[in-house]
Amino acid sequence: MKLACVIHRFGADIAGGSEGHCRAVAQHLAETHDVTVLTSCAHDHVTWDNHFPPGESMDGRLRIRRFPAVRRRDLARFRDISRRVFSGRSSNGEQEEWFRENGPLTPALVDEIRARGHGYDRILFWSYRYFPTYFGLPLVADRAILVPTAEEDPLIRAAALEAFFQLPAGYLFLTPEEADLVAERAPVRAPASVIGCGIDPAEGVRLPSSAGGADKTLAAVGIADPFVLYLGRVDPNKGCESLLRYFTRYVAGRTRHPAPGTEHPALSTQHSAPSTQHSAPSTQHSAPSTQHALQLVLAGPVNMPIPDHPSIRTLGFVDEATREALLSRARVLLMPSPYESLSMVVLEAWNRGVPVLVNARCAVLRGQVRRADGGLHYRTGAEFAAGLDYLLDHPDEARTLGAQGRAYVEHEYRWPTVMAKIEDVLARVAPAE
Amino acid sequence: MSIRVDEVMDGIETSVRDELRRRLVARGGPAEFRDAELFARVHEVLARAADRRDLDALLLPELLADEEAWKPAVDLRLSSHRPIVGPLIVFVKRRLVLPLVRWLFEFTEENFRRQDYVNRVVMACLEELAIDNARLRRELEGRRGP
Repeated sequence: MKLACVIHRFGADIAGGSEGHCRAVAQHLAETHDVTVLTSCAHDHVTWDNHFPPGESMDGRLRIRRFPAVRRRDLARFRDISRRVFSGRSSNGEQEEWFRENGPLTPALVDEIRARGHGYDRILFWSYRYFPTYFGLPLVADRAILVPTAEEDPLIRAAALEAFFQLPAGYLFLTPEEADLVAERAPVRAPASVIGCGIDPAEGVRLPSSAGGADKTLAAVGIADPFVLYLGRVDPNKGCESLLRYFTRYVAGRTRHPAPGTEHPALSTQHSAPSTQHSAPSTQHSAPSTQHALQLVLAGPVNMPIPDHPSIRTLGFVDEATREALLSRARVLLMPSPYESLSMVVLEAWNRGVPVLVNARCAVLRGQVRRADGGLHYRTGAEFAAGLDYLLDHPDEARTLGAQGRAYVEHEYRWPTVMAKIEDVLARVAPAE
Repeated sequence: MSIRVDEVMDGIETSVRDELRRRLVARGGPAEFRDAELFARVHEVLARAADRRDLDALLLPELLADEEAWKPAVDLRLSSHRPIVGPLIVFVKRRLVLPLVRWLFEFTEENFRRQDYVNRVVMACLEELAIDNARLRRELEGRRGP
């Protein structure tokens, strides 16, 4: 088939969930189809400044066609229109203006879809919230397959989306919760599938007897076992403010309630505590004993103030080797985000046998964890502390949860499984001739 | 050995809830909270309201006369009632005054947003209680017979 993939920005070094998803899927589609990516020249998702040259280039088998944004995003204007739209009292015209202001404002890309879109057999659009998808998809609705990457944020309740979500000829969802969210706004009658995202098997998978341990890469950046990990953009919108509050309270709680008979009780965890019963954890923190204090490691670009605290280490953006070592050696991966359509980093942790502790207020994360039996979830600071206690103080159970997460990834998220689902939707979508 | 997350979470949630109950009783909370089973039911109703995703779909706000009269306005609409110089005044407000006081606006906006959230959760709690009350009344009337 001749396919097009429409995405707001595209590039190997672009860190973004939907952008990474698009690139990975497009590369796999290009193994058997003729694939063109239609995108902007932007690299920065805040300003949409034109960074890449417009025109055609190649990325492996992918043909990339870039179109310039006609202006930068006006942040003050975007904030103002966002306030109106998110307050739930906006007109359809204001909602349309929101999609324009959100950008990247690339009318030439939309013109290209209008002029030549019907020359493609199918066109896949990523993320309904951006200008190219919102204004481009209606022009080729009979062959459009939407990957909405919808989250439970205020935008999903915009009235304009009721009509928009009825347009696509097919849907690819990342999770069942995302599919439900879209179906709440408009009944999805088109061919659809929950595909998630493909993930290759990791090397260095944690074996049942190898929790924590020393690592040269981590030693070089001053990180020692035991540590818990947050990996991603450190941002209030990702739930990091509450994560830091909960963690500092947790650490203070462990200091106030040391386990009896432990030499270094505060903030530390035991290396082995055989326990095969799923005992309810005490909310009085207990049981630790080891040489090192527990640390929270934040790895990713930082967009907010981080408290100066001895148990919090901020690494900023890390290279691939450090990222890999962090993911492989973490005791627990923490995911506090209230809005997710699919957490790739949770899948990556499970791919390495690491259990996760996620924000239960995000239906997607709670659903992922419950389906995989791969970790725990929390709603409040007290549940966060009790969940973290359980995972740190019951290492055998924690490793079992991590292993169950890995089995789930193996079953659901390997590329052959994901691509079979995509091919099925491609085949079932029947454009008007 | 396999582990069911739901079973572990049941244990954690029960443990956290018991600890919370003990703390509230110790701090002079309602005597009814000494009854663990009753507390669990109260907790369930309030947690259900706090967890509701559809805080924009509540009955009580629909029954209030006018949304403008009770809802904290988190969006700022700049306007002027003056017929000729109005657009100029709006321009000055938007382009000169607003940038100067934006920090204050954003501080208050965040607090209004929190207040709006709490208002809606409280309304959701009332709705949950009203639903429970209506259901119980209907059951009671059914038992009494016609």
